[in-house]
Amino acid sequence: MTEQACRECHRIVEGLVCPICGSSSLSKDWTGYVVIIDPKESEVARKLGITLPGRYALKVR
Amino acid sequence: MAETSIFVVKTTANQERSVANLIAQLARKEKYDITALLVPDVLKGYVLVEAKAPEIVEEAIQGVPHARSVIRGASSFGEVEHFLTPKPAVVGINEGSIVELISGPFKGEMARVKRVDIGKEEITVELFEAMVPIPITVRGDHVRVLSKDEIQR
Ligand SMILES: [Zn+2]
Repeated sequence: MTEQACRECHRIVEGLVCPICGSSSLSKDWTGYVVIIDPKESEVARKLGITLPGRYALKVR
Repeated sequence: MAETSIFVVKTTANQERSVANLIAQLARKEKYDITALLVPDVLKGYVLVEAKAPEIVEEAIQGVPHARSVIRGASSFGEVEHFLTPKPAVVGINEGSIVELISGPFKGEMARVKRVDIGKEEITVELFEAMVPIPITVRGDHVRVLSKDEIQR
């Protein structure tokens, strides 16, 4: 089963609503995969504007 | 606190995401100084790991199935930054371009591009073979731009 990503914050979401931003605009059509472990120390997280650890898509359609 | 760099881990093709997940799991459990993992998809067989030293990545991939090796040397953020902002699917497609549809009901048909919508990543094309040229709108990643060479053939 393809996982869904939030169109607003790009987080990979398991349920029907994004737990981070509350959006229900989810998409199975996403590419690029990012796992943020330590957002405070991560340059990748900073560049992507991600402040919470977790799994994200780089691009969501 | 030490700066992080990007290290490249070679993986079995199509196992990039599972390798990233396993390294992430281990990093949390074993408290490795790994801050993020990146699978850009366009890079087949590689996972990018953000960490403070190559030894950390070497250690973390031990015992991770499908993680083969750490490529020598670190990459700067400048080198990988373009992966963080994926190009819209319509970049490189212009009005007037000749394209081949590679997906959908018109797969295999040739068409001329009439309009490009960068925001929606869609293009509007007219099929060559159609009796009446009806514009159809397709996703930018559902076409392949034909080179001048291919058109002449
Ligand atoms: Zn969200």
